[in-house]
Amino acid sequence: MGAGAVAGFGLGLGGWHVGCSKRASAQGAATSAAEIAALLPECRPVQLVLPDIEAQQPLPNGYLKYPSPLVRAIADRPGRSGRTIKTMSPWWGPTPPGLGRNAFLDAVNTELGISVNPSVQDGNTFADKLSAMLGARDVPDVLAAPMWEIDKIPRFADAVKALFADLTEFLSGKAVRAFPMLATLPTVAWQYCVWGGRLAAVPFPRDNPFPWALFYRKDLTDRAGVGVPKTIDELYAFGKAMTDPARGVWAFGGIFDMIQMLFKCPGSKGGWRKRVGGGLEYKFETAEFRQALEFTSRLFKDGMVHPDLVASKGGDAMQLFHGGKIIAVQNGLGAWAGSQSEQSKVTAGYNIQPMPIFSALGGDPLAWGAQDPVFYTFIKKGLGKERTQEILRVLDWCAAPFGSTEYELNAYGVEGRHFTRAEDGSPVPTDLGRRELAGQYSFIGGRVPVIVATADVPHFVQDFFAYTTSTIRYLEQDLFEGIKIALPPNYSKTIIATEDKLNDVLRGRRPLSDLHQIVREWRNSGGDEGRAFLEKTLIRNGR
Amino acid sequence: MNRSLGARLNRDWPLLAMTAPAALLLLVFHYVPTLGNVIAFQDYNPFMGNSALDAFLHSDWIGLGNFETLFDDSAFWDAVRNTLSITLFQLVFFFPLPIILAILLSSVASAKLRSFVQSVSYLPHFFSWVLVITFFVQMLGGAGLLAQELRRHDLPMWDVMTNPSTFIILVTSEAVWKDVGWGTIIFLAALAGIDPSLYEAAAVDGAGRWRRLWHVTLPGIRSVAVLLLILRLGDGLSVGFEQYILQREAVGRQAAEVLDTYVYYQAIIPQQWGLGAAAGLFKAGIGLALILIANKIAHGLGEQGVYSSR
Repeated sequence: MGAGAVAGFGLGLGGWHVGCSKRASAQGAATSAAEIAALLPECRPVQLVLPDIEAQQPLPNGYLKYPSPLVRAIADRPGRSGRTIKTMSPWWGPTPPGLGRNAFLDAVNTELGISVNPSVQDGNTFADKLSAMLGARDVPDVLAAPMWEIDKIPRFADAVKALFADLTEFLSGKAVRAFPMLATLPTVAWQYCVWGGRLAAVPFPRDNPFPWALFYRKDLTDRAGVGVPKTIDELYAFGKAMTDPARGVWAFGGIFDMIQMLFKCPGSKGGWRKRVGGGLEYKFETAEFRQALEFTSRLFKDGMVHPDLVASKGGDAMQLFHGGKIIAVQNGLGAWAGSQSEQSKVTAGYNIQPMPIFSALGGDPLAWGAQDPVFYTFIKKGLGKERTQEILRVLDWCAAPFGSTEYELNAYGVEGRHFTRAEDGSPVPTDLGRRELAGQYSFIGGRVPVIVATADVPHFVQDFFAYTTSTIRYLEQDLFEGIKIALPPNYSKTIIATEDKLNDVLRGRRPLSDLHQIVREWRNSGGDEGRAFLEKTLIRNGR
Repeated sequence: MNRSLGARLNRDWPLLAMTAPAALLLLVFHYVPTLGNVIAFQDYNPFMGNSALDAFLHSDWIGLGNFETLFDDSAFWDAVRNTLSITLFQLVFFFPLPIILAILLSSVASAKLRSFVQSVSYLPHFFSWVLVITFFVQMLGGAGLLAQELRRHDLPMWDVMTNPSTFIILVTSEAVWKDVGWGTIIFLAALAGIDPSLYEAAAVDGAGRWRRLWHVTLPGIRSVAVLLLILRLGDGLSVGFEQYILQREAVGRQAAEVLDTYVYYQAIIPQQWGLGAAAGLFKAGIGLALILIANKIAHGLGEQGVYSSR
């Protein structure tokens, strides 16, 4: 395994003189909002279809009716050189067939005029692949990576400089006009694509600002006659009522993040907020976190969390949720429509809904928010100007907005093969479509996000906006909005170690009274270093 | 008699040609990568310069800084302690089992029955750890077969998959279930190599079953057993990776962190390559020392060991 296997020969340790050496010393880095503003591409929105629900940023526009006819957004074929473009992107589902055995890839590649050869990797273990790939400096032509993985990598600005193309000259300011669809992407998302003073990635903008939602199986709770909890005690009662080990059913998957949010722990950049009297404090140090920890450890202790998730890392919460073995899980809102569409075919009456958030402490609830893109797409360095432009034209094609034929092909495949049309004209995926589509093109290039009604998930648009518009009122102000931050490695490292310890408390292996000591260790091993860095960053940005 | 180099080459070239691919393999995949160990003494930044080689050349030298960080970290010593306990526990409770099973198997008279038992006991070796652990969870976990039966009869729950204090027994049981059959192969070969006339002679001299086992069978496989024991000791700081990473959350870091998972969480995930290499070097150093010591002891007891200087 990795570095462990690197060692080949032994050296006696005895004679070593320890004491006169330096420690590894990577630092954090931040690019200020003002520096970033100078690099951003001009934003030139294109609206092909008028929305039925015109939403305020950061919510997307909603469409209740599928448009017809669709418009062709791009006249020329992006591909010219005839050379294959290798891509890598994550996917949370079964691996689709590869190039040569996949009609969807053939169809899109024909349209692109060039062969894109995607390598689709399991999203849950993406970080392992990414780490090894970056360490070996061996990257594909196009790499799409989730922002939460990128954020964890120390010295990523160095990696960008060494491995990925500087896109500033192609995309900054007016230059982006050469790629009119990329120019439609929101400025908010571009803000985070800057490393080391260079525009280095194309963003996949998020369609909502919420990192988590607490989903529950409404069909099952309705059948059991259990209502939606509105207080933390009701959530506990919900857990008690829905857990039935004799039938192999437990109320919860891992939901610690959501519980923290209900207890109003801070969430900026992982959990920071301004302290009364100046400076920053991290969620671990707050009374709210202690309460959230206590509550969640009670859920574990009282046997409301599915034992498979307790027992093994391999346990898949969504799979158990789909099978009705777990009643409530935390997940991003992005999982909603896909889950409903897929499982409706398996389980009659399947109904996944997000629980409206509430405050465990009384008063208004708090909703964590984020504005950074879901994925970043990088282009390999040193491919040459023409090749880089060709790849950007492919990404431009991928960015064609809703209402275009390109969007439909990208998102649903070929009519009659990958989807059929419902009576209302909306595409409904076929089995082939579900098998062959895995974000191969949609994940490597973002589009202006939209929420669209389709016949396979009726009421989704209404449900989505009902939830998001009622939640957005409680959105936490992100202290670091628009600042590109690379956290100090010591800080990132100590977060991993501390989460291990907190896990011990959650599972009842350590008493809650140990929290004080855990926080002290966290502070000494990088927590305070992270605090000092972030405080300095805020001051430098005048906040 | 000393022949000239040319004459020896002339005589031995087919042998040399036959070893060349293996030697090349060893050189390319073992000795050259060994040079990468220099990063244990660097604040290694893989993104320096224009190529991977540049990164080696341009990263800062920090002497023993990585080792200091490592030795200062109590989590590292937890991992060392866990790894050594598991190794020792398995030496006592796992290592002898294949020998016993092999002796039992070799005494089964029916060839059909013997090959059936062999096939069945080899099979789990070819399952991946994910499968083995899923199997254990499905059988013994809180939602598993056993738990459901206990619940049905209102018996107290038997929590074995998430209990840190019995974790060492759990992982050893898993390892036994997976690999005990596979481990018999080499001992069966050694048993087959024992001259049957020795058994006949012992029987003629009036030795019973136990005496034959003690005076013929065990001495016959002793050198193989010692060889395997020494190799296992040299590997004492590796107890596997997947098995532990999969169950780490279930019982917590305190019980389940071994050196390889420590490297994964503290070095690979946060990309502290220098620290990871330092841990790897530490592991290799201890492994080498253990091999040398065990080999010395084997020599002292009149065994051949892994190698001999004579």
